[in-house]
Amino acid sequence: MNRIVSRFAYRFLLRLHPASFQNEFGAEMLWIFDEEDQQSGAAYLLFDGARSLLRQRFRIQNDPGQSSITSGTIITGPGMSPLRLLQGGVSFLLIFFCLIRVLSHPNSLFLSVKWADRMSCYTLTLEAPSHAEVVLDSAP
Amino acid sequence: MSSRDTNNGPLSSATLHILLALAGGNLHGYGIIKEIRRSSDGHYRLGPGTLYDNLKKLMEAGLVADAPQVAPPKRRAAAMKEDDRRFYTLTKEGKDVLAKEVDRLQSVVSQARLRLRESRVRI
Repeated sequence: MNRIVSRFAYRFLLRLHPASFQNEFGAEMLWIFDEEDQQSGAAYLLFDGARSLLRQRFRIQNDPGQSSITSGTIITGPGMSPLRLLQGGVSFLLIFFCLIRVLSHPNSLFLSVKWADRMSCYTLTLEAPSHAEVVLDSAP
Repeated sequence: MSSRDTNNGPLSSATLHILLALAGGNLHGYGIIKEIRRSSDGHYRLGPGTLYDNLKKLMEAGLVADAPQVAPPKRRAAAMKEDDRRFYTLTKEGKDVLAKEVDRLQSVVSQARLRLRESRVRI
């Protein structure tokens, strides 16, 4: 069960990468995830995938000359608005911490998806020993 | 990324380890991860995200390239899936950058040894 959840989360992270990166390396990254899952641990691989996602999304697409391999600095570009970035960051952190919580308590996972009339949105609920709720998407 | 960027300043740890792994021969992505783990006795771990992020930059800089696929003779169809893996190779420019970095590290080590020897004499 844990493996299925962590693999699903990793695939989700890969799908958030830019299409060009995904097409070029996505299949190989998933293959390495399958091979390394037992040895390195899913949490480390998920964290690594999230870091890669941030780097790819932050990189200035039109000026690759500015992304130096020597400095390791993250350069923000005009491609994403701060609000969108904040939204993505909060969503990712919520999902990540829920996953960590679920993975650390393997027998207590309860997953439900329901339509909330008052908020006009779907809610994905992951119930571990403590309750955690993540609103995945708003759809009127 | 221009090659000029790669010649200035020290390389990041991930970049240095990837270039060093490829200096030993052509490898696929997972091969690079395993080689880095082996050569560092497990002290340096590289995840697939960090690996491909760096590989992409190195390929854009012309330091790493796709290795030409060598078709093995008389292989069974079942074994072909393994051959679909993408292999990476160090370019001439990549070797130059790695050699410069090794020289830089060598001078750092020499300096450090000298300083340590001087401090021992003072004591």
